[in-house]
Amino acid sequence: MTRTDYDLAVIGGGIQGASVALFAAREGMRVVLFDKGALARQASGTNAGTLTMQMTRAALIPYALKAHEMWVNAPQWLGHDVGVVACDGLSLAFTEAEEEILSQRAEARSAAGAPIRLVSSREAARIEPGVNPGIRMASHCSVDGYANAYLTGLAYRRALVEAGVELREYTPVSGLGSSGRGYDIRTEGGGVTARQVVLAGGVWIEPMLKWLGIDLPIKTLINQLAVTERAAPVMRTVLGIASGLLSLKQYPHGTVVIGGGWQGEGDRDSGTHRATAASAVGNARLAVHAIPSLRRSRIVRIWTGFEAETADALPAVGPVPGHPGAWVIGSVHSGYTSAPYMARCLTQAILGRPPEMPLFPIDRLLPGHGSH
Amino acid sequence: MSGSHDVIVVGAGPAGGEAALAASGAGLRVALIDEGPAPGGQVWRAPRTAQAQAAAARDPDGRQGGALRKRLRDASVTLLAGAEVWDAEPGFVVQCLAATGNHALQAPRLILATGAMERVLPFPGWTTPGVFGLAAATAIMKSEKTLPGKEIVIAGQGPLLIAVAVKALELGLRPRAIVDRAGPRDWLRAAPAFAAMPSMLARGARWMARLKAAGVPILRQSAVVSAGGCSALDGVTVRHLPSGRETEIAADTLYIGNGLTPADELHRLLGAAQTRDRLRGGCRTEVDADQRTSVPGLYAAGDGAGVHGALPSVFQGQIAGLAAARDHGALDADAFAARSRPARRRLARALRFADASCRLMTFPEDDLAEMPPDCVVCRCEDVRRSDIEAAMASGAADMNQLKHFTRLGMGPCQGRMCGLNAAGLLAPEGDLRFTPRAPVRPVSMDRLIGEFDYSDIPVPKPAPL
Repeated sequence: MTRTDYDLAVIGGGIQGASVALFAAREGMRVVLFDKGALARQASGTNAGTLTMQMTRAALIPYALKAHEMWVNAPQWLGHDVGVVACDGLSLAFTEAEEEILSQRAEARSAAGAPIRLVSSREAARIEPGVNPGIRMASHCSVDGYANAYLTGLAYRRALVEAGVELREYTPVSGLGSSGRGYDIRTEGGGVTARQVVLAGGVWIEPMLKWLGIDLPIKTLINQLAVTERAAPVMRTVLGIASGLLSLKQYPHGTVVIGGGWQGEGDRDSGTHRATAASAVGNARLAVHAIPSLRRSRIVRIWTGFEAETADALPAVGPVPGHPGAWVIGSVHSGYTSAPYMARCLTQAILGRPPEMPLFPIDRLLPGHGSH
Repeated sequence: MSGSHDVIVVGAGPAGGEAALAASGAGLRVALIDEGPAPGGQVWRAPRTAQAQAAAARDPDGRQGGALRKRLRDASVTLLAGAEVWDAEPGFVVQCLAATGNHALQAPRLILATGAMERVLPFPGWTTPGVFGLAAATAIMKSEKTLPGKEIVIAGQGPLLIAVAVKALELGLRPRAIVDRAGPRDWLRAAPAFAAMPSMLARGARWMARLKAAGVPILRQSAVVSAGGCSALDGVTVRHLPSGRETEIAADTLYIGNGLTPADELHRLLGAAQTRDRLRGGCRTEVDADQRTSVPGLYAAGDGAGVHGALPSVFQGQIAGLAAARDHGALDADAFAARSRPARRRLARALRFADASCRLMTFPEDDLAEMPPDCVVCRCEDVRRSDIEAAMASGAADMNQLKHFTRLGMGPCQGRMCGLNAAGLLAPEGDLRFTPRAPVRPVSMDRLIGEFDYSDIPVPKPAPL
């Protein structure tokens, strides 16, 4: 029986994969991490960086709360700064229908443990003086904030190198096979063997799982964002709206990032995506409606990035059925927020320990499941 | 103004203006968009003041610009002036912001004639107030017939040095010095090609005689290596490149330029294939003999596709406009061949002259390595060479990583000024560019969104709870 090259191979260097690689290496595993490009350059580097409970699915609130705490303490466990700012969060309702959505959602998230409460328009204006005074009500969450998503790659790269993870950036994996004691990870320049493997390819976990004969449909969202030039302070909170289709905050250096999941155009197979003018205008109008003084700013860049979603919009985090030692992590709604904690739980399972909180095994999403 | 056309032309300089006229002359419904208040582009920029108008009447570029504006007025071209194109979507939809708000123009064909931008080899002090681009100087003179500054130094490379110096003399400003990277031998090498255009050669000779008569010193094989002064420029240090000898020149204004680079944001946004080409300003868009790019329905002409100068741009524009008409079915093969033949003949002749100019203006890539560590590369975000080196030491291997690690290219210009210089530092032999993204110019939120009701915003259905 030959010795494998690594204890663990992680395929996909986004925030989920990089976190698993980091935690596993710190537990003494020999870890190799592959990415087809640079670290954290897809969803993990291009998302809005919001660390909010008010856009997180209720079922994921307990995870997101744990992860929020990790983000705030990133300098301690990650060792590097990702520009995390913890602040108040407000979700706004402009219409009667939105008031209803807001109340329902605040209640559900609050029941799941998020410190969310409904506030009057007057109180909202006290928390966020820049807000449109015409709002009907808001929900306030004291646990909110944001990271500087574009610093993720730099911070993780340094941490991974220090932890002794072998980084293989710009190295696409072309296939995966089972071998005597683990898995063969095939790349153009040859390949490596590892006892365990983690598929952490974001929207590409669908083709990755096909290597193992597993058919898990993953929907590709193409989230569109915009950023303004640096400006004097116009806001101090993370703002959203009841439907979840806006995320807005001003970074300490003055730029305002406008997100919320408006859709661009693109295609996972070619890896290309682009913004649409219609989404840019709609999203910008919503942002100005929330913070009227943004009307005086200028947009300098509009960009898009992929987001992965399963059929039930709940995560794919757990073992790959029928393939001992193979794991998957991805499709975590508000995945940037929850990533470090999801990765911690999965790493515990990889190490053979019980995870602190339950994983989200993919069996429920596979064909034939529940039909007998 | 929003609406459907047979062809949209972006840029109303020599290339775009001629493209619009050629397409319109063949019967196409043409929309022509330019960010300037009137057609003409940079070289044929429309004069704004009375003095500038009088000067333009005496100047060949001014007269050609006037003629183009008149022809466009007389043609049935729909002109949208003072409009900034900020996005182009495949198919094509061109988004532009005018004083009247955002306009979306549609056409099955799109001709990009976006012109060039100036490049500057960074040196300590290049961001000091009082330092201007060389091409910027020509723009100010053409529109205003004035030049900021009293004690001026003109530096960089290429024929613009002489042109700006002579125009300064006409304004009663005697330049303290012309600092030219090229030596006499470089100019001599260009002479035969310049001789192919006798009128241009004669103009050049007249200009040189006037500079000599005025006693303007020309420092050959020399470059400005630093500019002094805190809130305003007070002097420059000039190095004689072969000997390394340095001299100080007191100056309140420096005009400096190291050639041009295609303003190719839209070409790249739409995915047109490109090739690295230093002579053409760093990178050129691949076009066939009829100016078609690799993207069906997309044409490129003029300096935006690869720097050639104004004269070849005219003929490339004519060919592009006719090719769009041909592909639209408005011209048959014979008519297309007949109409484009004169332009092709004159283009071939103009290119010889243009290439000699382009050689003199080729950006000194190799000198990027000489930049001192504290020299600013990205002026929007104040990123210095040392920051770039630190990012490289942290593993930055491509432009997006460099951007994320340092904020280089994240300011209002989005890397249009610093991108090529940073790429040259990151990978001198590489072909690295930022990912092209809209908007290709910063867009005013106010103009973009206009007045609206909340109920008009097509808010998508709520995300899952």
